[in-house]
Amino acid sequence: MKILVVDDEQDIREAIGRKLRREGFDVVLCSDGLEGWKAFHTDRPDLVVLDIIMPGGMDGLTVCRRIREIADTPVMMLSAQRITEENIIEGLNAGADEYLVKPVRLNEFVARVRALLRRAQIASSDTDQNYDDGYLSVDLHRRQVYVKGRKEHLTPTEFKLLAVLIENAGRVVSQRDLLEQVWGREYIDDVYYPRVYVSQLRRKVEQDPANPVYILTEHRIGYRFEKQTRQGE
Amino acid sequence: MPVISPVLLPINGFTLALALGFLLIIAWYDIHRIINQFFAIFLAMATIWNAGFFLVQIALLLELPLSFMGFASGIAEIGFSGASVALYVLVTILAGIHTRRFRILAFISLCVALAYNGLLIITRREIGIQPSSGVSFFYFLIFDILTLYFLVSYRRKIQNVGIIAGITIFILGQLFNFLNPASGIASLSATIGATGALILSFALVQQEMITPLKNQRSQLEAMQRVSLAITGGIATNSVLKDITEQAVEWLGADAACIFIKKEDGLELVAPYHLPERFVGWRIQAEGTLAGKVTTERKSVFVENYKRDWQGNHDMPLAIETFGSVIGVPLTSDEQVMGVLMVITGVQGRLLGKEDMHRLELLSSQASIAITHGQLFAEQQTLADQLKKLLISTENPVLAIDRKLRLIFANPSAEKLFAIHGADVGGSILNLIPAATLPPNYRTVLKEMRQNRVYIYEISLAGKIFFCHLAGLGDKRIEGWVAVLNDVTELKELDRIKSEVVRMTSHDLKNPLQAALANLDNLRDDVTDNNREGVLLAASKIEKHLERMNRIIGGILDLERARMSLTRLDLCTPADIITNAIDEVLDIALEKNVELQVDLGTETSDFRGDTGQFGRAMVNLIENAIKFTPEGGSVRVQAYNDDECVTITVSDTGIGIPPEIQPHIFDRFFRGQQPGAEHISGSGLGLSLVKAVVEHHRGTIRVESEMGKGTTFILSIPAAH
Repeated sequence: MKILVVDDEQDIREAIGRKLRREGFDVVLCSDGLEGWKAFHTDRPDLVVLDIIMPGGMDGLTVCRRIREIADTPVMMLSAQRITEENIIEGLNAGADEYLVKPVRLNEFVARVRALLRRAQIASSDTDQNYDDGYLSVDLHRRQVYVKGRKEHLTPTEFKLLAVLIENAGRVVSQRDLLEQVWGREYIDDVYYPRVYVSQLRRKVEQDPANPVYILTEHRIGYRFEKQTRQGE
Repeated sequence: MPVISPVLLPINGFTLALALGFLLIIAWYDIHRIINQFFAIFLAMATIWNAGFFLVQIALLLELPLSFMGFASGIAEIGFSGASVALYVLVTILAGIHTRRFRILAFISLCVALAYNGLLIITRREIGIQPSSGVSFFYFLIFDILTLYFLVSYRRKIQNVGIIAGITIFILGQLFNFLNPASGIASLSATIGATGALILSFALVQQEMITPLKNQRSQLEAMQRVSLAITGGIATNSVLKDITEQAVEWLGADAACIFIKKEDGLELVAPYHLPERFVGWRIQAEGTLAGKVTTERKSVFVENYKRDWQGNHDMPLAIETFGSVIGVPLTSDEQVMGVLMVITGVQGRLLGKEDMHRLELLSSQASIAITHGQLFAEQQTLADQLKKLLISTENPVLAIDRKLRLIFANPSAEKLFAIHGADVGGSILNLIPAATLPPNYRTVLKEMRQNRVYIYEISLAGKIFFCHLAGLGDKRIEGWVAVLNDVTELKELDRIKSEVVRMTSHDLKNPLQAALANLDNLRDDVTDNNREGVLLAASKIEKHLERMNRIIGGILDLERARMSLTRLDLCTPADIITNAIDEVLDIALEKNVELQVDLGTETSDFRGDTGQFGRAMVNLIENAIKFTPEGGSVRVQAYNDDECVTITVSDTGIGIPPEIQPHIFDRFFRGQQPGAEHISGSGLGLSLVKAVVEHHRGTIRVESEMGKGTTFILSIPAAH
């Protein structure tokens, strides 16, 4: 497993790198956004850790958006700034799977890295159920989503979320269950994760994100996937 | 023998019938008036006199016996004497000097006349027609002369020309009675008397009936005029002037004025037909006529000022010019507020009690006017005070009406929005910049319904204001008022506060993160027995803790520098610069920035705090290194310039955009120019430098070119 760490603070990235190597990961260290963006191409990491405020005209959020344009690689944001929930949501909306606020202890950091990797892997191998109604087509085994016949890029977290909802199609999945199954036990209290990701997911799969038909909100309980009858093309 | 005139008889009868007719009218109009009663008696007597005369004429004509003649002339005698007495009483009543004593005297006289003439009729039958007996003449002399005397001395009181003429003619008629019968004029006596009686009755009808009715009308009209003045006009003095004018015209007086009660006496206002300089004339309450009215709370009537008034005088020349004076109190809530005084001149009309009562009617109206005026004045004072308050306040205040037209702007608002007095009445939308208007009217109105006030923020003329909008009027909104509070400084404080938060969150968290991460690694290294790792982690932890210490120290340094300069050493620029360079060498090496020092020739020393100035230099050079990309250079120079020591710090960094150059010395300001986002710092460095330089009575300025570099130039007065 290869992890790319981008942080302009040398001592932070080196300390993180040491820890990750000790835990058995391959590590690539970069000091600014552009360097990180290049390294992403050359080194093809399995997970990216990004600082937000970085020199060189390309900050963490930009790098994250660029990565999302071409790949589903899990991204973890790490920043000292932006402490409000809205700022965290902004980071998540840029396509990040995880948002950590400095200072973070390395044991917790490694645990989150592992959880994120696990999520990405499970999403790719868990099930062989498929869904297809002509408009939306989901191949759970091959991790591919087609909307109106066109391939849609989903992040690992988004795909995992969609997969869990489809497996429980017709039933309500509570916030807690979603957090536990998609993100992991450690995330039980991060209640705004499902909300942000569901809206992100709707934007990708729903015809009209404002009036969803697939992913329905059960107010204060959770979410429900509703199968649609096949539509003739 | 008197000439018998058959023509005169019907005239006499006709005249008397007319007089009786007038009598009937008067009696029917108001029989209870004493004047009407005595007029009736007088007329009855005059009729008897004429009737007697008539009988005598008849007797002469028909050559009736002498006894009848005596009887007839007796009746004429009774009528004649009675008429004299009744006329006398009538005049006393008209002159207003009538008393019970006069009436008794008159009654006794009448009885005597009746008894004597009655006796005469019974005892002396053959006396023939000789009417001018001694008694008749005696009565005529006494009463008619008295009557004439009163008539002359009270002519100003009686005034009615008809009455005076009638009485005079009647007396003239009676006088003819005593002329030689042979002249023939005597026979006209009764006719003239009857004519006099007719004129008198006509005049009386006019005075007692028509004039009062007319007066009633004029009274109502005056009242109406006063009421109109009161309700229409607010300026009290003009209303009071109207009241005095009405009082004068209504009573036929010559002048009037109003005295208003003040704490230390009475003040004259609203003079009418009095010199204007009397306005504001002050008199004492004790002893004066107006004072008497206020203390006794009732009207005072002085018929003849010179004769009757014993107290002090209310006005200069009063004793020389005043005839009758009436003062009536002006009251409100049982309190005497002032006095309405009406004056007639020495030659003017004599006022009477009834004038006083009429004036009292007017005074109640005047009281209302004064109360209104005082209320209005109080309100005016309040409004004035409010206006002064608004004008003197430094907060800009604007008021607009329902149609968004400007009603009021205080001087600060005029200055801020560049509007003038002439703009009042113009639409606010054209007077102030659109950006300063509230963004959404619907929200504003809703908010104001709920909270009575709407607050929003506006920026104008480089300042930030909180604009408080509130409705004008109690129930119905008549407009709105906006009060602006300058919160620029508060905003600056707010910015500093959030910068502190930002700084602690970012600048302290990064070293904290580095230290904690290394601490976690240290623990692992200890477990792994990795000696090299332990040493590395420990040195990193130390480095970052020191970095945090420096940031905290920076805050404290600045606070200290802002306070004052405590020490005054002799500072050598070369030493300070060398020390500072030593301190930042590591940072420069790490960043691969070249440090150049040019101390040139010998530089002067200056007085100051070596430690503090050293910190400032470190800050300045560190700052230069921070904003210089790798491979660049920082150059420090020192040289003498006139009386000053000049130190410059130049870098080949990214430069400072002109628009933020004025702010770089502000506390917690951090350049956000492109390429500088990642550069961490407390935002305190340059503000510390500035504070220190200023404490050394020096100056600091900056020259910068984007992409080329920045130069800071310090100038400190040299020590001698």
